[in-house]
Amino acid sequence: MTPEFMTSATFPASPPENRSWTRYFGFNTDAKVIGIQYIVTAFFFFLIGGLLAMIIRGELITPAADLVDRTVYNGIYTMHGTIMLFLFIFPVLNGLNNLLIPTMIGAPDMAFPRLNAVAFWLVPIFGSLLIASFFVPGGPAYSGWWSYPPVSIQNPLGHFVNGQGLWLTAVALSGVSSIMGAVNFVTTILRMRAPGMGFFRMPVFCWTALAAQSLQLIGLPALTGGAVMLLMDLSFGTSFYQAEGGGDPVLYQHFFWFYSHPAVYVIILPVFGIFSELFPVYSRKPLFGYVYVSLASFIIVGLGLIVWVHHFFTSGVPQWMRNLFMVNTMLISVPTGVKVFAWLGTIWRGKLRLTTPMLFCLGGLFNFVFAGITGVMLATVPVDIHVSNTYFVVGHFHYVIYGAAVMGIFAAIYHWFPKFTGRMPYEGLGKLHFLLTFVGANLNFLPMHPLGLMGMPRRVSSYDPEFAFWNVLASLGAFLLGVSIIPFLLNMVSAWVRGPKAPHNPWNAIGLEWLLPSPPPEDNFGEHVPTVISRPYGYGTGEPLVENQAEIERQLTLQEASA
Amino acid sequence: MTATTGQPATGEHPNHNLTGFIIFLCSESVIFLAFFSGFALLKTSALNWLPAGVDGLEWRMPLINTVVLVSSSGTIWLAERCMAKGNLPGFRAFWLLTMALGAYFLYGQAVEWGGLQFGFTSGVFGGTFYLLTGFHGLHVATGVFLMGLMLVKSFIPQNYAGGEQGVQATSLFWHFVDVIWIILFVLIYVWQRS
Amino acid sequence: MSNPSGRSRPPISSVGLVALLGWIGLLIALSWWMAQQAYRWLPVQASTAAPLVDGLFSFETGIGTFVFGAVVSVMVWVVVMHRAEKYDETDAEPIEGNTRLEVVWTAIPFVLVMAIAVYAIQVNTRLGVLGPMEHIHLANPVEEQGGYPADRLPAEQVEVIARQWSWEFRYPDANVSTTELHLPVDQPVTFRLVSEDVLHGFYIPAFRLKQDVIPGRAINFNLTPTREGRYRLRDSQFSGTWFAANQADVVVESQEEYQAWLQHAAHQPLQPGLSDAVGEYGTRKQLKNPGWATVPPAPPPQVNVPGSNTLPHDA
Repeated sequence: MTPEFMTSATFPASPPENRSWTRYFGFNTDAKVIGIQYIVTAFFFFLIGGLLAMIIRGELITPAADLVDRTVYNGIYTMHGTIMLFLFIFPVLNGLNNLLIPTMIGAPDMAFPRLNAVAFWLVPIFGSLLIASFFVPGGPAYSGWWSYPPVSIQNPLGHFVNGQGLWLTAVALSGVSSIMGAVNFVTTILRMRAPGMGFFRMPVFCWTALAAQSLQLIGLPALTGGAVMLLMDLSFGTSFYQAEGGGDPVLYQHFFWFYSHPAVYVIILPVFGIFSELFPVYSRKPLFGYVYVSLASFIIVGLGLIVWVHHFFTSGVPQWMRNLFMVNTMLISVPTGVKVFAWLGTIWRGKLRLTTPMLFCLGGLFNFVFAGITGVMLATVPVDIHVSNTYFVVGHFHYVIYGAAVMGIFAAIYHWFPKFTGRMPYEGLGKLHFLLTFVGANLNFLPMHPLGLMGMPRRVSSYDPEFAFWNVLASLGAFLLGVSIIPFLLNMVSAWVRGPKAPHNPWNAIGLEWLLPSPPPEDNFGEHVPTVISRPYGYGTGEPLVENQAEIERQLTLQEASA
Repeated sequence: MTATTGQPATGEHPNHNLTGFIIFLCSESVIFLAFFSGFALLKTSALNWLPAGVDGLEWRMPLINTVVLVSSSGTIWLAERCMAKGNLPGFRAFWLLTMALGAYFLYGQAVEWGGLQFGFTSGVFGGTFYLLTGFHGLHVATGVFLMGLMLVKSFIPQNYAGGEQGVQATSLFWHFVDVIWIILFVLIYVWQRS
Repeated sequence: MSNPSGRSRPPISSVGLVALLGWIGLLIALSWWMAQQAYRWLPVQASTAAPLVDGLFSFETGIGTFVFGAVVSVMVWVVVMHRAEKYDETDAEPIEGNTRLEVVWTAIPFVLVMAIAVYAIQVNTRLGVLGPMEHIHLANPVEEQGGYPADRLPAEQVEVIARQWSWEFRYPDANVSTTELHLPVDQPVTFRLVSEDVLHGFYIPAFRLKQDVIPGRAINFNLTPTREGRYRLRDSQFSGTWFAANQADVVVESQEEYQAWLQHAAHQPLQPGLSDAVGEYGTRKQLKNPGWATVPPAPPPQVNVPGSNTLPHDA
């Protein structure tokens, strides 16, 4: 790079100098560093959670409880769920939020950079706490990631420091971290958008992030309240949830699901955002019905807050409540359908490029539609009575979370990898990764549906022999999924170390983040935030997104040529 | 529906602390909402709400406490007005008065706790009572602490020359704590018959 | 899926229209077939509730197959037909949306799910008549019957006690207790579900019915078995270490066989009932490194007839 670019007052800012990689291991307040810290940490825990899944599927490949002791199995499935949710999926999404929100809206950083760093550093802290619970006397929490009392407060050894107590502390810290993050993201989106970027010129990813983080702010405190009471029952002898002291175990289920159902939308909404960003890029067409897609996110937020009782239709809730919550739940399929149809409308008659991110999006959409259909089945009370707490539910939510959300996250990683690392990922490895993931996920999670219909309860360490056939298939799928992560890690590491240098806009995409050098400088646009003059996704319209776009792009190309 | 003017993201970084704090308070209120609804649910479905030997809560002293806390919302408002007019000594006087009222409230709460014949583990009644009043008391203590911090900061020359978001945030927090107490008082002390 | 753009749409050819209609017809046929198949994925129908639940599930499978098939058809069509040519770097025609289409595809899912909801509420109401699942409190002074009309008072009442980890069934009228549930066919029966420790789930897949058993509450729950056979009762709400082994058998038999069994059982002396957990706990204690901590199982209930949970079962 030439020195005049580094001192030049004109946009674009020069790409950053080679900074030390050690900044990823310290308390750094740059959102782009924090974003990568989040994602790498999340994938570290993803490997642990995945290893636990391998043990679960290893145990379930035969009907008898013969691989590990039943107590060990219960601890492992509990930790699998907890790690995957609180240490993988939420952190990885917060990582994407950190990378994408400031760059997409043209902000130099998050609104509260130090708070942001604290929120991130809580993740390894509570992660270590959770992993440490494997080594305390009695073992880790074993009551499932729901931790329903009274099982969760039985504390067999009677020690004050026990797996369940550590679990609750870790989840509480995770809540603190998420609230810090949510306050930060919402403030940033509301207050720091580029000139000219009204709400209806904001990328859909930011809309969905705003919606998802609002849900965090509303839902998470309820879980925190419920968890505080559970911790007191466990450790200090109160009886909020114990029938003997006048408490009610079902009360906890209300607190838990008031948050944990919306939590599913916290996960899936940003993935809807990713789909909405990527389908236009790789179809070379504008997003179909941008306004409807944006607003649908908030309709999902509203409805998502009033469906929590559908998680315990069998716990003796009155008939009118069951009907009400059933109808609310089914209504969610309407705004969700609007989004799905909008994506189909986007790819329809487009000029599709089946790159790795596009394949992951298409695969994710396929799985999501399937999960939506089983979701409607689960919403109807009579069917739910039969299949609730069976493998049908396990299959359904793994289709949502792995089949749709994780595939969407992979799509996002491949798509934005060049932007934030300055290197191109390898297509061949990426496509192999897609193939293994798509086949593995379907082979793993589809057999769970017949199992549930036949009446195999979830969370069992042994089962009757008639369930063996489908379980063997599911286990094989799981092992395939385990293998699928290898090309991904290989791709990420080798591309980052020695991949080809990425230009500022390798996918020819429209968006503020693609008007920055790859990787962007520390304060993004710095003093020279471009003024947004049109809606996002103007593919084929010929309208520029920002003022002086041609000049900015010319400068970036010059910069790359001279680098 | 487009073309709203964006925020000035260039130049000096504007301070968003107050926005962030308001968002946080909205979220914080949901914890109280969760506790309140849990309390109401447990109370309405309980068969024997009061533990043996307890026939209700004494409400006179908490009522005095309520008056103290509510009036402290007034004094903090006066303090803010003084600050807006640039009257720093007046601000400090009313601010200190608010702190004193907050501290008195905590003292009253402690005295009440000391005189009760039931404990934390006396069934759901004891549990919810101490949980609600304790969690609220924690917020009062936090408020008093924040006010102390702001008072100290007011002695740094020129620090409060252009108004201060910290004072606004603290004051907002104090009103929040006040409103929560009124709901809590109605739930726990006024609604005693089930 | 029609072309959303109004401007440059080439009018669909009659061949294309026929092909599209033919494809939709094929999808409908496939959906119909899947709806019939759906019954085969479920266990045998052994209660009055089962046909109702299965009918709803079949209906949902049919609609779901059609929706899924339609969406996937569009995706496959697009991936095959609308790929960018090699070296074609240009953009596609910019179609930003179509309000009429948005209204249509908001309305279609709305109508579909409301149709399902109405059907589900009807089934729900009929299930409610067949077996009210609303709970009552344990300490409630008046022992309610769940609010069903007097002429439908069940013939038999059974108390079900769930423990970590065993099921005990008591027949108060006959003074019999057992760890294998026997029920007369085509007779309404009321269960009184109680738990002595944690949450359990009373789940008999062949009956398509499930009810959580909640400590501190006695829950009245009734059903009518309709098919003779031996079925599994499974714990459906995670209850700790031996949750998976907390299973019992349900034997549905003719009225005569049932009465004979009851008579025979009443004369048996009390003996320890079935509890797989107790057995496994014993062997586990011998191990040097058994695993992580566990709550010890409750001792097996003292019953007249332990029965079996190892015989082949129908579902």
